[in-house]
Amino acid sequence: MLRKYYSLTLILFLAVFIIACQEEEYSLPTAESGLHNDCIKRTLGPNVVGLNIEFAYAMALLPSEGKIVSAQVEASVAGASGTYLENKSYYTNSSGQDVGIAIGDASVTTGTKTVVTFTKDTCAATLRYYYIIPEEARGKSVSFTFSAKASNGQTVSYEMGPYNIAKMDMKLDLLAKDGTACYISIADMAVYDAAGAAANAAKIDLVYLYRSITGITFSHALVSPANTEYLPDIILPSGVNNSTKSIKAWNLRDQQLARLQYGVFIDDVDFQQIDFANAPNYAINMKAEAGLWVETADGKYRAYVFVNKVDNTKKEMTLSIKRLQMK
Amino acid sequence: MKKYFIIPSVIIIFILSWVRCTDFPIDEDGLLITTRGECYVSNFELLGVDFQTVRTGAAVIDTTAQTINVNVFYGTDLKNLWPQFSLVTDAKLDPKITDFVDFSDLANPKQWTVISGNRKVKKTYTVFVTVQQKP
Repeated sequence: MLRKYYSLTLILFLAVFIIACQEEEYSLPTAESGLHNDCIKRTLGPNVVGLNIEFAYAMALLPSEGKIVSAQVEASVAGASGTYLENKSYYTNSSGQDVGIAIGDASVTTGTKTVVTFTKDTCAATLRYYYIIPEEARGKSVSFTFSAKASNGQTVSYEMGPYNIAKMDMKLDLLAKDGTACYISIADMAVYDAAGAAANAAKIDLVYLYRSITGITFSHALVSPANTEYLPDIILPSGVNNSTKSIKAWNLRDQQLARLQYGVFIDDVDFQQIDFANAPNYAINMKAEAGLWVETADGKYRAYVFVNKVDNTKKEMTLSIKRLQMK
Repeated sequence: MKKYFIIPSVIIIFILSWVRCTDFPIDEDGLLITTRGECYVSNFELLGVDFQTVRTGAAVIDTTAQTINVNVFYGTDLKNLWPQFSLVTDAKLDPKITDFVDFSDLANPKQWTVISGNRKVKKTYTVFVTVQQKP
């Protein structure tokens, strides 16, 4: 009985060894006949009006079967000015650099269609498409149809999307200076000086100031005009008195605002979900790469103010804003 | 041949049953009740809404008076602070801290009770927050 089990086990092991040791010889894959295509989306994060969505569209056929004559992208909503399809095909060299080789004329955009006509004898190319998100697409979704045509009459196409376009706005690198251009408007996404603040008093949501006070840590601050306790020695322009709710944030370095290596993105839903119920109306001791969630006094806007840079000597702060209109 | 299989199996099943039935008491939170009677706070942290510390220095913990004195930066938003207690091994805190806590009523300081590992000793700690004043 026991010998029978031993024999069976031995046979089983032998079978495993035979299968495991079978050598599979490598052979070069054979390219399929016909025109083929593929596409990837290269940009990450929310699609914000004014920014671009980048794609890489690849197309190829066997050299013996013909050459590519044109490539086209059709967007469901026409791209803003600056939308184009590259007329260069890129490859990555041994140093990791993308090297472009022109394969045709510069793209021509007519309405929703962007076309590149090939002028070089090319049977394989990867073209990049930069779609500048237009104002008309805000809050909608956009789809793309990539297509290519070969000299033998074959055509291929590839659908991408739909992609949601965010409702929020974005403004980068506003410079606030203590004592001069220090009045920040979320509604206008702008920084005003005293005269500008007086002219736009109802829209001033935050005041930037820098103070170095012995014994306490005050440093760079973004304070609501209504909270004069944290606005030492500041005489506000007439009518500037909004109380803006603020919530400090740290380690929230939105990639689109910070342009740093962190893969963090703030999207519409983040503004909708944040709770300002017990939020104060001031934020002092703000550091570079910190952030501030804010809600305007009338509740019309919510924003995330990211501190790109601070300068203690010049008493200034560079900030970038993402903003969503709530009502 | 059979006995080589049956005897060890019976022994293993017996051991497993014995281990399973041994009494390891747990409390209402599903935490193990141990024999430890120590009951104190070993460290205290206070975080702002940005989850950065708001302390100007280390908190002073008096395990005899059962008090914690912490000084926070000028301008700290006292309505939204997240206290963090480090407790002696096996102890637990009551009430649990699951959200930001409002410390703004300085006249009525917040209190938490530390419960020892054997759940027989309870000590209530009072947290006194002092805000750094502008000179």
